Amino acid sequence: MALLEVRHLTKRWPTGRLALDDVSFDVREGEILGLLGHNGAGKSTIMGITLGMVRPDAGEVRIGGRSVQRNRGEALQQIGAIYEAAVFYDYLSGWQNLRVLCSLSGWWDEAEVKRVVQMVNLNRAIQQKTATYSHGMRQRLALAQAMLPQARILLLDEPTDGLDPEGIREFRELILHLRKHHGITIMLNSHLLAEVEQMCDRCVIIKDGKKVFEGPVPSQEKTRRMFQLETSDLGLAREIMDRVGATMDKHGVVEVPLNMEPHELVSALVRGNVQVNAWQPHRRTLEELYMGLSSKS
Amino acid sequence: MTLFFQQWYGELLKLFARRRTYIGFGAFVALEIVILLLIKKFGMGPIQKAIVGSGENFDHYFSALTVGQTVMGFSAFLLGALFLSLVAGDIVAKEGEDGHMRLLLARPVSRFRLLLLKYLTCVCYAVFLVEFLAWSSFLLGIILRGWGGGYFAIVPEISVVAFYEWGPGLQRYTAATLALGLSMTVISSIAFFLSCFRIKPAAATIGALTYILVDFILRTSGFMDNYQHLLLTKHMAAWGRILADTIDWPLVWRAYAVMFAVNITLFTVGYAVFESRDLKS
Repeated sequence: MALLEVRHLTKRWPTGRLALDDVSFDVREGEILGLLGHNGAGKSTIMGITLGMVRPDAGEVRIGGRSVQRNRGEALQQIGAIYEAAVFYDYLSGWQNLRVLCSLSGWWDEAEVKRVVQMVNLNRAIQQKTATYSHGMRQRLALAQAMLPQARILLLDEPTDGLDPEGIREFRELILHLRKHHGITIMLNSHLLAEVEQMCDRCVIIKDGKKVFEGPVPSQEKTRRMFQLETSDLGLAREIMDRVGATMDKHGVVEVPLNMEPHELVSALVRGNVQVNAWQPHRRTLEELYMGLSSKS
Repeated sequence: MTLFFQQWYGELLKLFARRRTYIGFGAFVALEIVILLLIKKFGMGPIQKAIVGSGENFDHYFSALTVGQTVMGFSAFLLGALFLSLVAGDIVAKEGEDGHMRLLLARPVSRFRLLLLKYLTCVCYAVFLVEFLAWSSFLLGIILRGWGGGYFAIVPEISVVAFYEWGPGLQRYTAATLALGLSMTVISSIAFFLSCFRIKPAAATIGALTYILVDFILRTSGFMDNYQHLLLTKHMAAWGRILADTIDWPLVWRAYAVMFAVNITLFTVGYAVFESRDLKS
């Protein structure tokens, strides 16, 4: 079931630049969806429209069936976000920052706030001014504020930006923990392919404001059957593959069609006098997918 | 309603937890002390002349209230506009510039409510700053002249001159400071209005100060004698009428109705501008 529906979003900036061009996709309940794209592709604009901070020229975003554009207050009740860099009031403590932010949601439950603060491992620093926080601590506070009060969906806009490798790993584990143990649905905006690959179930790739891909993250794919073919007869192999409906890229990565078994394809190649030097399962990486889409465009 | 007050508390916390908010208060105290020392050294020449010229006893009317109003008059004119513009000019523009606004508006709160909270905080700050100024001046007056005496109230720009005894004088002084606080909210409103645009906080502050100064210059230059009703500082001076022997209530109400209308208009237009903005870096 789609918890967040993005429908036909189009946005043109006053400068005339087309930021989004008829972008639609869903975020299903309980999944982590990665929103991928180069800088300036339109990922943050989608986030901004989802939070009602940017007005689309056309289209809408629905959260739990409620339109953000028509009923922002109700739609955002279920959402928590880190939108662009999380900038806190440095002269307030972490606790005071949470209090100010939660008051805008019309909610304050000290026990619940303490629980979340403990979850993000800030319990010792929460009474300190945020001016003293490291970047990692700020990101954890940002995550805490996004989770409060009891968000069903988290929108995370490049949450690991600027974190050191340890911080990234810690943050990633926290996100995966939230999904696994709290059933939180997450839309993660990133330009880091590895991050999306490790955390997300599905991804949407945006290029120059257009959606160019929506589907499972390659490493999570279960239905695709990819194999690496090594042969000196690539031309001949390609002819045979075209005949049986298989596809092969220039690097010899073969996708076996669903109507045949992989060994049947190898037999067809051998019968066609293709010298098969090696035939081994190939797991397509997100980078390959992304670069493939980029080169196509 | 409780929710509204909780949210307003959050805004006030943000304002009053910040050190720079108190620069205004500190600067006022410093200036008041300087003015007081000048009074102590050189006396109150023109005021003394006015009191004696009216056939009254200078010693009796040279009281904490008279000193308080004199010090307050100078300080409010010199620094009040600056600090009110500074705070109100920051309140939206700075949060937009720093990225706080995106954090706040990721919450299910409307832009209208958020701006209303911020505007009320500016109004509250204006009244609070003027009251602080009024009563700290009064306190310095007490230190200089002690408790009791008369009250010589003078507001030359609207030709108000009056003599009161201590009790009634204290009442008038209290009422006049509240009225001055309300008058000063106009400056906050101008800075707040400009702050709603996509501009630097300093630009909002300078814009508001410039408007008030130009308005004041036009008012005092004589060129606008027939158009005084169009000038904001003319209406803002209505606080002084509270000190007159007989208060001209129609004039006072009219001035405050104009200021109220200006405030509402500036807030509404500011909100419309802010509502139409896309909040993205």
